Amino acid sequence: MSNRIVVCLKWVLQAGEPDDARFAGVSPADHAALELALQWAERTGGQLTAITVGPPQAETALRDAIACGASNAVRIDAPLSTNSADVAAAIASAAHDAKWVWCGDYSMDNGSGSVPAFLAAALSASQALGVTNVTFDDSGITATRRVDGGRREVLAVHAPVVISVEGATARLRRASLTALRASTTAPVDVVVPIVAMRTSQHTIQPYRPRARALAMPSGANVLDRVRSLTTTGTAVATHHEVETLAPAAAAARIVDALRDWGYL
Amino acid sequence: MSDPDVIVVGGGPAGSCAAIVAARAGLSVVLLERGPFPGSKNMYGGVVYPRILDDLIPNWWEEAPIQRWVTRRATMLLTETQALTVDFRTEAWGKAPYNGATAYRPDFDAWLAGYAEAAGAQVLTSTTVTGLLRDDKGAVVGVTTDRPDGDLRARVVIACDGVNSFLAKEAGLYEHTDAKHFTLGVKETLALPKEVIDERFGVRGREGVDIEIVGCTGGINGGGFVYTNLDTVAVGVVLKLTKLAAQATRPEQIIANLKGHPAIAPLIEGGEMKEYSAHLIPEAGLRMMPKMTTDGMMVAGDAAALCLAAGIWLEGVNFAMASGMYAGETAVEAVRVNDVSAKGLVGYQRRLSNTFVLKDHRKLRRAPELVLSDRVQHLYPQMMANIAERMFRVDNPEPKPGLRRILRQERKRAGVRRRHLWRDAFTGFRSYG
Amino acid sequence: MTAMNFMETMETAEFRVHPDAHIVVDGSVCTDCTTRECVVACPANLFVPTADGGVLFNYEQCFECGTCYLVCTQAGAITWNYPAGGHGVVFHRT
Repeated sequence: MSNRIVVCLKWVLQAGEPDDARFAGVSPADHAALELALQWAERTGGQLTAITVGPPQAETALRDAIACGASNAVRIDAPLSTNSADVAAAIASAAHDAKWVWCGDYSMDNGSGSVPAFLAAALSASQALGVTNVTFDDSGITATRRVDGGRREVLAVHAPVVISVEGATARLRRASLTALRASTTAPVDVVVPIVAMRTSQHTIQPYRPRARALAMPSGANVLDRVRSLTTTGTAVATHHEVETLAPAAAAARIVDALRDWGYL
Repeated sequence: MSDPDVIVVGGGPAGSCAAIVAARAGLSVVLLERGPFPGSKNMYGGVVYPRILDDLIPNWWEEAPIQRWVTRRATMLLTETQALTVDFRTEAWGKAPYNGATAYRPDFDAWLAGYAEAAGAQVLTSTTVTGLLRDDKGAVVGVTTDRPDGDLRARVVIACDGVNSFLAKEAGLYEHTDAKHFTLGVKETLALPKEVIDERFGVRGREGVDIEIVGCTGGINGGGFVYTNLDTVAVGVVLKLTKLAAQATRPEQIIANLKGHPAIAPLIEGGEMKEYSAHLIPEAGLRMMPKMTTDGMMVAGDAAALCLAAGIWLEGVNFAMASGMYAGETAVEAVRVNDVSAKGLVGYQRRLSNTFVLKDHRKLRRAPELVLSDRVQHLYPQMMANIAERMFRVDNPEPKPGLRRILRQERKRAGVRRRHLWRDAFTGFRSYG
Repeated sequence: MTAMNFMETMETAEFRVHPDAHIVVDGSVCTDCTTRECVVACPANLFVPTADGGVLFNYEQCFECGTCYLVCTQAGAITWNYPAGGHGVVFHRT
């Protein structure tokens, strides 16, 4: 069985300097993923491949990873604005035999955190996303992740798996001077995707529930219409039905009811 | 990897020029830069004079990332309410081979370092040099860095590590370090639309303006500057450290006062603050310069105090580039004849002495002190401005006074003694004449 | 001109802060200092006198200029180093 370990790094242009590679960099979360991937590779004797999706300048992120100890590096040649599903598909095809895939939980720009999830799906791997703590032992990896209500979920992780980690899970080691010198001429494999990559244009906005649709008020005069709108003087309308249905039918019934009542 | 022939510490103009020269001559060169890219730690008073690059980078002006060519150069004397300006402009400086240019140092220095890399030097960033490696006789044989496994050995070390040069100090090249030899430069970069800058400063296209100011720093000896970039205006002050430390007004307040002066405020009105920055300047010229070489090492640029602060001439980047080039040439020579001792590196001092680098400094050795003297700073601007005001004022029905009377009266009113005026004029004439 | 307080002014500069301080100030030495040159001279205003007579120092927005150790008159008060490579101030339009 292959023991291929992969770390995914996103090279991100700085907000306010959209055209300037000098100010670009990699998120603390990606750095943490790199450090954990290096530790896991050392522990298991595996080879670590660093992968990025981006333009040629993004290779600086890969060379830094090589200087820190990655065995080889792959750049998938595509725009930084490539959408998450296509990024994940391209990584998955470049690393189809990967058993342990490490990612940062969010990039510094769009930050939707969706690439690791898409990647797990594309690789048919299990996933441990948004991990806050990682411990290695003889049986494998134990990952702790945040869940709602301040609780924690502890996962025993088995390959193949995609693990995305928060920035505070590890602090990236500093590359030695010798390794840094060697990395400046280290080869980087470039993969040109066969399919055209779709770019993502949408911006992320805070979640807002949809406004409830109301029917036109009825009533003979203005006062009645205002009353019917504000439900003044009448009991607040509530809906309740008790039915026993199979799950699929129950779901359909709920959707129908919500639509009837104007919530959808 | 094998040890290089030359280690250059610092990716500023001195370091990059040293690396370009040495690498082009076939030496293996490692350039160590502590910032994430060359130029990221660098800031200055705005104008670079790159003619020294003519041989190194022919037609440098076609590629250099400059903001504007300085075609208007003004020197301004300010008092609280007055401004007396000598304003010169020429079309000649707006075309090749040009004279001075405004540029952002993170752009200019990174551009120059690109030539070092293209010449074959290995440019390593994010690596801070922490000290020198020496053999048992005390000769410099390499440097230590803040990376694991971070010692690096070479035949020659060229220290271009900037104004604080801990390497030159560690090597014992500075006899002492004295705060009175330094000034602090602080600067605001203000964004304005290009058309607004063009209109306010009376320039067009790539033409730019550099205004040097005396009398705008309150009780602190120093000076000020305003210069144009393409779509920003930089305004800043230079403050004598010992005077700054001995009073109560903070640097940003001194800039604010300059920005509020009636002669300056209209130029920068509405400018949006893009960046605030600060840096030290080795101001004292020949008085503070270190020994330039020791066994296995040379010092160049600000690290060697090669900054010319002589009032009407304010230069540094050109001295850095030249000294870096000469250090590079000397390293090539020394490695070839296999003598990197101080004796083998003696060509560096010779090159500095025979060129503008030390000739300008020798000629102007009294200028920095004169320019920062209390009289030039605090008495003469007021006196000159009052003389101008009297000359141009029409006091009808009073008849016009004679110019000599105005001069005498205003000299007395400003509290300037005649013999001091003569002495300063003599010093100035000897320096600048 | 839009009025800006000094905290906002400092926010216009980029600082890549390292977890470890590169400059260390021994506040116990500062209690004997009456002149406090650093407090007025530091262009980033990083030296703040405290009520108990000491001096508080924050290294995070340091321009790495060297003003403080040059003006300081108290031996041993300031231990000055450059930050680890790649960290500290990063200028853009200077």
